Amino acid sequence: MNEKPISKLQEILAKGEFAVTAECGPPRGTNPEVIRKKGEVLNGYVDAVNVTDNQTAIVRMSSIAASAHLLQMGLEPVMQMVVRDRNRIALQSDIMGAYSLGIRNILCLSGDHQSFGSQPDALNVFDIDSMNLIRTVQVMRDEGKDMSGFDLNDPPAMFIGAAANPFADPFEYRVIRLAKKIDAGADFIQTQCIYNMDRFKEWMKMAREEGLTEKVHILGGVTPLKSAGMAKFMNNKVAGMDVPEAVIDRMADVPKEKAVKEGLKICLETIAELRDIEGVHGVHIMAIEWEDIVGEIVESAGLMPRP
Amino acid sequence: MIVGEQKPIAEIKAIIAPYKKILIMGCGTCVKTCFAGGEDEVAVLASALRLACKKDGQDIEIEEITVERQCEDEFIQEGAPAVSRNEAVLSLACGAGVQALARRFVKTPALPGVNTTFIGVLEKQGVFTEECSGCGNCGLAVFGGICPVTRCAKKLLNGPCGGSQNGKCEVNPDTDCAWQLIIERLRILGQMDNLRIYIPPKNWQPSLSGGPRKMVREDHMI
Amino acid sequence: MTENFKPKITLFHCINAFGDADELALNGKDTCEIQTVKMACSSMVKDVFLLRAFEAGADGVVVLVCPEGQCRFLEGNIRAKKRVAWVQNLLDEIGLDGRRLSLGNMAAGDNAAADQTINNLLKNLAEVGPNPAV
Repeated sequence: MNEKPISKLQEILAKGEFAVTAECGPPRGTNPEVIRKKGEVLNGYVDAVNVTDNQTAIVRMSSIAASAHLLQMGLEPVMQMVVRDRNRIALQSDIMGAYSLGIRNILCLSGDHQSFGSQPDALNVFDIDSMNLIRTVQVMRDEGKDMSGFDLNDPPAMFIGAAANPFADPFEYRVIRLAKKIDAGADFIQTQCIYNMDRFKEWMKMAREEGLTEKVHILGGVTPLKSAGMAKFMNNKVAGMDVPEAVIDRMADVPKEKAVKEGLKICLETIAELRDIEGVHGVHIMAIEWEDIVGEIVESAGLMPRP
Repeated sequence: MIVGEQKPIAEIKAIIAPYKKILIMGCGTCVKTCFAGGEDEVAVLASALRLACKKDGQDIEIEEITVERQCEDEFIQEGAPAVSRNEAVLSLACGAGVQALARRFVKTPALPGVNTTFIGVLEKQGVFTEECSGCGNCGLAVFGGICPVTRCAKKLLNGPCGGSQNGKCEVNPDTDCAWQLIIERLRILGQMDNLRIYIPPKNWQPSLSGGPRKMVREDHMI
Repeated sequence: MTENFKPKITLFHCINAFGDADELALNGKDTCEIQTVKMACSSMVKDVFLLRAFEAGADGVVVLVCPEGQCRFLEGNIRAKKRVAWVQNLLDEIGLDGRRLSLGNMAAGDNAAADQTINNLLKNLAEVGPNPAV
């Protein structure tokens, strides 16, 4: 990697600080105020903010535009890019466009299938997969070439992220996949939100054994639960989620008015455990449509002030 | 084989509405094996359409014929006399067969009675599954004989997404996650190392994306 | 719905379940006209034969088969059941009404069961009327 930090997030991780990132979804419309409001609520509490790319295949303002709006107000975005909607030509073009606007972090994802979204009749693309996208961004940065081998004028140098899900099937394969993403060029990983700490620790152990934690920064994902219903829903209806009975019971055992507080307690316990796991270099807080809570979580977790 | 499904009868009725004398032409190969357009299906459709039209006081005369394969001129020629007796042909062949008819019988409308869907196998009696998307660039050797281009809803070549649940695809709980199948097969074959191989971006030029394809065998042409 | 609607019924039956239409209590009475088609096994009721019975002028069609689990050819009556269900659906789709077609299980010689099946069909025919496609 270059001597000059590629991004603030990269700098923080390189220095060995425990990083904090959060998430922000663009609006289903054109008003940048919506994003700015979310940005204001997160400002100062996080090192970078992920901006989703038509998440769940629901049509929203583009991730590149929303990222640019956050940038303008002084926040550092992590632009998410899925391979579902754009072919390699459009993806490379947008990577360069994003870089030209000042975006320096990218998270390379497959993307939820369009059948889940607001326009399931659409033709999907998947010209290349997320692994190819990681490699593409890496080659652009380290060799200055695009996918055809063309030497780009002023190539983009992005800090490259990928997702990992220690809770998907089959378990043993998940570390092979992590290794492959690192080889392809991933600099940092954000995991699916963690409720099954045992399974996560097992996965981290396997990652350490393969030497992977020396090569990549892993940020553990957390999402505060609001109710037992939410816990059950996530376990049963959301693909690749593992919410153990014990956690669901904890949420169910408290009176409804105390559920949110219990959920936050569980979240803080998770973050505390993450800070003690060797190889975990940060936390990625996914408080879906509840960005206001992030500040409280970061403060209560003792992660303030941010560097 | 090529798999297709007969169009709903209401749609077929609408398609043949302008005509009083039609020929229903079946095909004895792919669509016969998937019960969409073989001789038996032609007979049933003809009978059902006659009943449906008569009930509505509509005049219709339906002739029935089935040829071995509608994708070969040699066979559809046999249908020439029948075609000339009718105003239109309702073909129960796949889309290729319908177009072959249109090529040969230029003055007779060739109408589709079947929705052609996929290249597939008979998994068990009555169950047909899609296996091949004709990408023109087969990589089955490295995937343990299971095609991720066709059977992974996202055409992922480097491993599964994080969305599978109990080995089933996030898109449809009745569909196996192709990558789960590939991983299990590679495990049986002792080829788990294949999962570490980086598969570069696919060349889609040999697929339909590069335009409709043509294959010419000079060695078979006089 | 004319009062002198005497439905024409085509009776497909498996020779293992049922012997002769003459033995039916219904037969000879003025309630309906029955034509029979004997089959070695009820699975021989191909969709096209059922449809052609309607094309030939039947107002209703009955298929008599052996009880499930007792088919001499093991699954013949199950195939018959599926075929009848498929054609019932098709009859609905073309507007003829699937109630014109019915299947009845009967143990060999249990003519009372046969009578019942036919009577049930006649009740349906009283509602749906004569075949509109003749």
